[in-house]
Amino acid sequence: MKTVLKSVVLAAGLFVAAQPVMAAAPQAKTLEQLLQQVQKDRLSEGKINKQREQEFLSERADKQALLSQAKRELVAEQARGKKLEAQFGENEKQLAELEEKLTLAVGNMGEMFGVVRQVAGDAQSRFQTSIISAQFPGRDKLMGELAQSKELPELPQLEDLWFALQKEMTASGEIVKFPANVITGTGDREQREVTRVGTFNLMDADQYLVFNGETETVGELSRQPESYMTATVDSYADNASGYSALYVDPSRGTILTLMTQKVTLDERYKQGGTVGYVITAVLGLGLLIVVERLIVLGGMSAAIRKQLKSDTPSDKNPLGRILKVYENNRNVDVETLELKLDEAILKETPRIERGVSVIKVLAAVAPLLGLLGTVTGMIDTFQSITLFGTGDPKIMAGGISTALVTTVLGLVAALPLIFLHSIVYSRSQSLVHLIEEQATGIIAEHAEKESK
Amino acid sequence: MMLFLIELWESVRDFMNTGGVVLNWLALVLFIMWVLMIERYMYVTSAFPKLVKDIVANWDAREDTTSWYAHRIREAWISQANEKLNARMQLIKTLVAVCPLMGLLGTVTGMVHVFEIMANTGTGNPRLMASGISMATIPTMAGMVAALSGVFFSSRLEAKVKVASHRLVDSMPHH
Repeated sequence: MKTVLKSVVLAAGLFVAAQPVMAAAPQAKTLEQLLQQVQKDRLSEGKINKQREQEFLSERADKQALLSQAKRELVAEQARGKKLEAQFGENEKQLAELEEKLTLAVGNMGEMFGVVRQVAGDAQSRFQTSIISAQFPGRDKLMGELAQSKELPELPQLEDLWFALQKEMTASGEIVKFPANVITGTGDREQREVTRVGTFNLMDADQYLVFNGETETVGELSRQPESYMTATVDSYADNASGYSALYVDPSRGTILTLMTQKVTLDERYKQGGTVGYVITAVLGLGLLIVVERLIVLGGMSAAIRKQLKSDTPSDKNPLGRILKVYENNRNVDVETLELKLDEAILKETPRIERGVSVIKVLAAVAPLLGLLGTVTGMIDTFQSITLFGTGDPKIMAGGISTALVTTVLGLVAALPLIFLHSIVYSRSQSLVHLIEEQATGIIAEHAEKESK
Repeated sequence: MMLFLIELWESVRDFMNTGGVVLNWLALVLFIMWVLMIERYMYVTSAFPKLVKDIVANWDAREDTTSWYAHRIREAWISQANEKLNARMQLIKTLVAVCPLMGLLGTVTGMVHVFEIMANTGTGNPRLMASGISMATIPTMAGMVAALSGVFFSSRLEAKVKVASHRLVDSMPHH
């Protein structure tokens, strides 16, 4: 305080002293004048200093009063602090006593509340995934509050816990229908009648549904399991009384969701790629030829059988045309007749055998195409290995299964073609035999009959 | 006895289950093949000799066995008999040839299964892949066995048919 005052005074003095010097410097013309001026200035300066001193003194008295007041206040506050400290100690003691009383009063109950919390926590996680929550939503939140709360549970809460567990138990043995909001495959919400089978399955009229515990919603599966399983749902829903069989998911929805990842036949077919389509085209072409051949050969053999029974040769079947050659050359000698007949037979056989070898070629080509697909698939696989390395077997497995699918397709196309070729071939062969080896015999029989 | 049959049936069913769908088709092919072969065998041994007897009797009853007409008629009869003798032989041969192909089909579908499991779950669990591998190997083996059983008996049958055909030709003299 003093140093501050001193410096203030010093600064003020310097300021005051410097001001007149600077102001008076140009006015003082002579040394005499300067002396007088300095004297005059000193007189006035002394006056000012006195006045300032007076001011400071009065101010100091004021401050002194303030200081004494503050000191008084400090003493008062200190007294109050002491009093409060004493009270705090008192309270602490009382608190400890009460705490002791509480633990005495709670006794064995403390352990029980621990159990309640644990059970409530378990029940929360169970209720979250249980499909029964689709029917009674919000149960897990109640359990969550109970499990998280720091306070002691009250009697109604304990009763709620007991009731919720009992309800879950009872509901797990029930098969009930209830209306629910179902999220359809397109993402819309729809109010539907849903059947719940215990804790295992949710179904509507003709399909399985899944329950999402996190969002507490019932949703359609992106893909239903195979039709023979969903058919049981259908018949189950239609069944009014008695028992009916039903496919139930014992894993409570996990298997159903896994099933949606299963590759369908159609998807697997598409894995075959371009080669797969080519093989399909080969199979289709082969089948078309087989059908055409079977129809033509069937018609031909029926016509020949009819020809065998009648006496008049017709132009509409191979045997008839050969017989006609004989009719037209009835009177020529045997050698000429044989030549003419051979010529006629030679004309007929290609018509019967046409297309049969094409089927055989197609049957041979299909597995070769499958092999081609295998090789291109393997090339793809190795390309992905050069790009991504062998770290992820899933990338490689995808390519390899693509390669194998074409092999399967090739074999699947070849097997029926081989079968059908053998059928068509034996049919055409029997007709060829009939024309080549038996036609002349039939003619000979005719001739003998006539000569008798 | 009953128990033994039930056990046998059980083991057959287990075998079919581990082999997959292709094994059922293979069993069907094998069944058809054997039915046809047994039918052919019975025909060659019992029905065909009667036919031969009839044809030979007809031939012997003919007055004329030397003219061009007679030769042509004889050829036609032989051809007709051969037709009956060789009916479905082509199909039997095809079925025998198809057996290993079906085994191959089973191999490939089994491998597809294995790689599908690999794609879904990785290579971590060889037990999961084992079912696919048994699906691949069992049909291969079954196809081989089926084809081998067929090859032997069908070639025997073919020889029998050939002999029967020759015997017919020999028993119809012409000059």
